[in-house]
This record gives sequence, C-alpha cells and structure tokens, in this order.
Amino acid sequence: MNAARENILTRVRTALRSESRHPPPATDASVFPPVLNSEVRFKEEFVALTGEVVQNLGQFLKGFTRIATDGNPLVQELVGAGNAGIRDADLGVTGCDCLVAQTGSVIVSTHSAGDRALSVLPPTHLIIAHRSQIVPDLDAAIMWLRERYRGHWPSALSLITGPSRTADIEKILVMGAHGPKRIAVYFVD
Amino acid sequence: MTTGTLTRFKLDAATKAADLHHRAVIQRNITTYDVAVARGKARFSDWSNARSRAAAIKWEAINHLDRYLEQFECNVLANGGCVCWAETAADARDYILGLAKRHGVQKIVKSKSMTTEEIHLNQTLEGEGIRVIETDLGEYICQLRGEPPYHIVTPVMHLTKADIARTFQEKLGTPLTESAEELTMIARARLRHEFMAADMGITGANFAVADTGMVAITENEGNARLSFSLPRVHVAVVGIEKLIPRLEDLALLWPLLSTSGTGQAVTVYNSLVGGPRQSPETLGPEEFHVVLLDNGRTRLLADVEQRDALHCIRCGACLNICPVYRNIGGHAYGTTYQGPIGSVITPHLRDERDWSHLPYASSLCGACTDVCPVRIDLHHHLLHNRRNAVQHKFDSTGQSLLFRAWLWTMQSPPRYAVAGKAARLALRLGIAQKFLRPWTANRELPKAPAQSFKDYWRRHERGS
Repeated sequence: MNAARENILTRVRTALRSESRHPPPATDASVFPPVLNSEVRFKEEFVALTGEVVQNLGQFLKGFTRIATDGNPLVQELVGAGNAGIRDADLGVTGCDCLVAQTGSVIVSTHSAGDRALSVLPPTHLIIAHRSQIVPDLDAAIMWLRERYRGHWPSALSLITGPSRTADIEKILVMGAHGPKRIAVYFVD
Repeated sequence: MTTGTLTRFKLDAATKAADLHHRAVIQRNITTYDVAVARGKARFSDWSNARSRAAAIKWEAINHLDRYLEQFECNVLANGGCVCWAETAADARDYILGLAKRHGVQKIVKSKSMTTEEIHLNQTLEGEGIRVIETDLGEYICQLRGEPPYHIVTPVMHLTKADIARTFQEKLGTPLTESAEELTMIARARLRHEFMAADMGITGANFAVADTGMVAITENEGNARLSFSLPRVHVAVVGIEKLIPRLEDLALLWPLLSTSGTGQAVTVYNSLVGGPRQSPETLGPEEFHVVLLDNGRTRLLADVEQRDALHCIRCGACLNICPVYRNIGGHAYGTTYQGPIGSVITPHLRDERDWSHLPYASSLCGACTDVCPVRIDLHHHLLHNRRNAVQHKFDSTGQSLLFRAWLWTMQSPPRYAVAGKAARLALRLGIAQKFLRPWTANRELPKAPAQSFKDYWRRHERGS
C-alpha cells in the first residue's frame, strides 16, 4: 500500500503545480444572526424539534421500566446506575459535553455520554446537563471542545439535533428511523 | 462516441420524460424540498457570504491536498486507526475484502455512501459469500428492489408509499400499508437485528478533518451511528476530495450541507469518528480503517479549469433544481452521481468516451451554478466538457459535419442568403420536418416566413 500512497501523493503534487482560479472573496462577517439569549434560544429550538424539556425528573423516569445510564457523575447522582443493559433499555440517560443554542443541539461523546450506542440504541434518550453547558453557536461549541480535550479526543462524538428521523418515503417525516423516537433534556439548577 | 451508454441514455431519458406518473412523483417530492430549503436559507443572515466562505474552505483544502492528506493520515494513525491508500476502485475493494476475511466477517451493515456505490463494493463482498445490508431506509429499499440509488441524497425519490409497501410485501412478506410510519417501523425492526449481529460496519464520510484526523458523518436516521458503534470493525470509505483543513470549518459546512441537502438547520446526527474504541469504552469497534480513494480524482485535480468540481459536498441541490433531472429522473443517467455534478465529473472519473454525451443533457440555464453551496461553476464546466468531447473527437460524425457546414455557411453573406432561401423552401414543402427528425419529434417548426428579414428591411426602408 506504500506504493499507492506515494503514487497518489505524487499525482496530487504534480497536479497542484498550477493553481486554480480563486473563488470570489468572502468576508469574515458572521453568516448567522447572533444568538441573544442562549438558554431561551436553546429551549425554543429544542422544543421545535419535538425535544422535551423535563421539569420533574422523578415523574419522567416513572414512565420507563428499563433504564441504562452512563458513568457520568451527574447522571449517577440523579438517576443511579440504571437497571438494564444498552441493548434492552427503553430509556438511555447520559450526560453531554455542551448544548448548542443556535440549533437546539446536544454534543455527546464517548467521554461525556458513555458508550457510543447508549445515546442512539434505546428508544428514548434523556440528557442531564447544567444550564452553564449551553453555548451560543457551533463556533463556540467547537471552541469549547478544543479547550476541553486539548488534542486528546474521545474516539467518537455526535452533534445530536432532535430525535432520529427519516423522510425517505415521499418526503413524509417519520420520527425514530433507527435511533431514539423521543429526546429529552433535564437541567440541574 | 460509443453507442452502449449513449443509446441507453437516449432511450431511458425519452421514456422517463414521457412518463407522467414519474413526473408527478418527482414534482411533489421536489416541491416539498423547495419549501424546506427556502425556510432553511432564512436562518442565515448572509447566505451569499456563507457560500463564498465554504468555497474558500474547499479551495484551500483542494489546492493544498497533499499537505492535508498527510496531516489527516498522521492524525488517524496517532488516534490508533489504520489508513489505506487506494488508487483504484479495485484496490479499495481488495483491501476491504481482505480485512473482512482476516476478521472472519460474515455480516456487514452499511450506512449510506455514494463512494461505496462508485466502487461497486457490495457486489464484490457478496460474491465472496458475505452478507451486506444497507441500513439507510432509502438504500435498504433500493437493495431490496435490486436498483441503484435514484438520487445521491434521496435514494428512492421516485417511489410512492404504495410502491414501497409492495416491495416490502414481496421481499419481506409484510402486509400492505399506506403509512410511511408503518413502513419505516418495519425496516427499523428488521434492521435492529442486523445491527446486533453484524461483524463489520462500513460508512462513507462527508468530510475528513485534517487537523484532528476524524471523519465526519452526516445522517438523520442513526444508522451510521449504529454502524460505527456496534460491530467489531469500522471501515470508512473516503474520496480524497473530502478533506477539510480544520474542525472549525464544520461550524459552517454542517449547516450549509443540511440546508442545501434537505432544508434542515443541521442534520440530526453529525458525528466525528477519530479511531477505534478507547478504554474504558466497552462497546465500539476494536479496529478503525479509513480507505482514502483516488479512482480518477487526481485526474480531475490536474484539470486546473475544472478543479473546483472537487469542492462538491454532495448536497444534491443541483439535481433538484435541474430541469433535465426533473424530467428524465436519476436512473436515466446510468451513473453513480446524477444531475449536473454527475455530468461534470463522470467524464473525468470514468472513460470519457462512454460518458461524453452527459454534458449535453443540459439546457445551460445555469440554475445549478446558482444553487451550489460551494459555488462550483457547474454550467460552464458542462460547456467545458462539451468542448473536450469535440476536441477528443467523441462527438458523432453527423454532428461535426453539420457544425462544419453551418460554420462554412455563416462565414459568407451570399452563402447565408442562399441557405436562407433553401431553408424557407424546405419549410414550405415540409421537407425540413423530416430532415430535422429527432428535433422535430417533440417540437413544431416555425411557419415558413414569406421573405427573409433582410428583404423585409430593404423594402421597409424604401417605403419610408
């Protein structure tokens, strides 16, 4: 395979001896309207995506019988160790890295939210987070991740925006294609 | 010009263009898309600048591709992953097959990847007795029907609920239903079992981030996440043009891709995979392999004029806007990548002789260029490809003779006048219709004017 590597890189370098036409100039101005109040905006976006903001955690948890959780201390404190494995749980409870107000998204990783499948395999996903974890936009979220991990990245991260969905059939929106049909967040004050 | 692909294209395009049911299905689909995209664009304060910035990011990556490829490789290796450099489709297939054999793989779950369609990966693996299951709902339906994807983003855009219900009844024995939700749940339940039992997960990548060595995978369903979470081995097949310099670039590229692709602010799952599982993870692949695929891309890179075609992020916007695509549909092209972008890149990636007719499947209206989120000059590239085809003598003898005759006529006023007279006579006698047969099959010729414009002008001037 080393020959292939050299061949490809040589072809690339030969091709790049002449530079292609520059694209029209862009400005550094932001292309999105500013996020004024991160917490309010996050909730608006999250709810618009059919996400639920849980007020009473105990009440919410009563709706589930088989619960799987990650090793996140916040989750352990509020929900406990859970009583089911990832494969049979009807609820997966995880922490998260940060939450993005601009898009109503949650970032989970193998550091913040347990094994890769915990936030995608069970039919409902509950995220437990502090309000302080909400960042205004995607730029801020990536900056947050850079500072948090400083080059020692988790093996996998996902920006989650709403429940799993598909519109492959006649563009009709169906929730819960493969991942959770419901997504909820509980903020610890 | 070889006849196989051209003849099939002409036949399929003519059939589909006259199929009113097909047209209704596509129009309904694309109208829904148009509404969603308009809403999505309204979330930007400056869509035009967003496109320019995205173009600048991809320009930087593509014009320094050697540097970013090496940086990406270095970071993947540091994260504990493996990198395979594949010069051709066969190299990529051989590598993945070897890997599957080494791990005793019997079942593979795949998430949507046009690059694996391009290299015909499934056929190779299935030929060796390995079960390959497409897990994206649209791709799953394609696989059951034995059809290639109709569209790079929406694989079964051409099918109705009823078509899909019939396919499920035939192939899976499930009862007929008119509900998209029930159909989705049938697929969900079936595919759950496949995910649990699979030994290998194969995904594509929407971006490859050089400065962190991660592949970025965009999806709505969660099947890609399951594909790289549950099986023992994860393979990501990545065209070398997918490189982007920095993680920060995704803050723009993620929303841009989903806005142009489906109208969503961002797609449900935008994942970054940087390697195999690390302690203390108990689930997740033990091995992570990235296949970096050339397969003709360096040929396109060497074409300075059309290099920006490698900026494409495969959002599908140029397909949806194209009046030709809307009429002939995705299958008529006969290519992995359909629509304007497909007609631009396919003659470069594959044998130009076989595909040089595609750039003519365009009205050159420029709508594709207007919607492209990374500002690829698509309709000019269609023209460039037409010129290339003529220069390489791939156009038909009849066409080149006709153009030479036209040039000869236009170069002299007396010849032009004689030709005009002959044309008016031919129109009046009804010979022109026969002479211009392919063109007149679906069009009416104008009525023969009594005189030329020149004659009219002369008389008009004299009279005044």
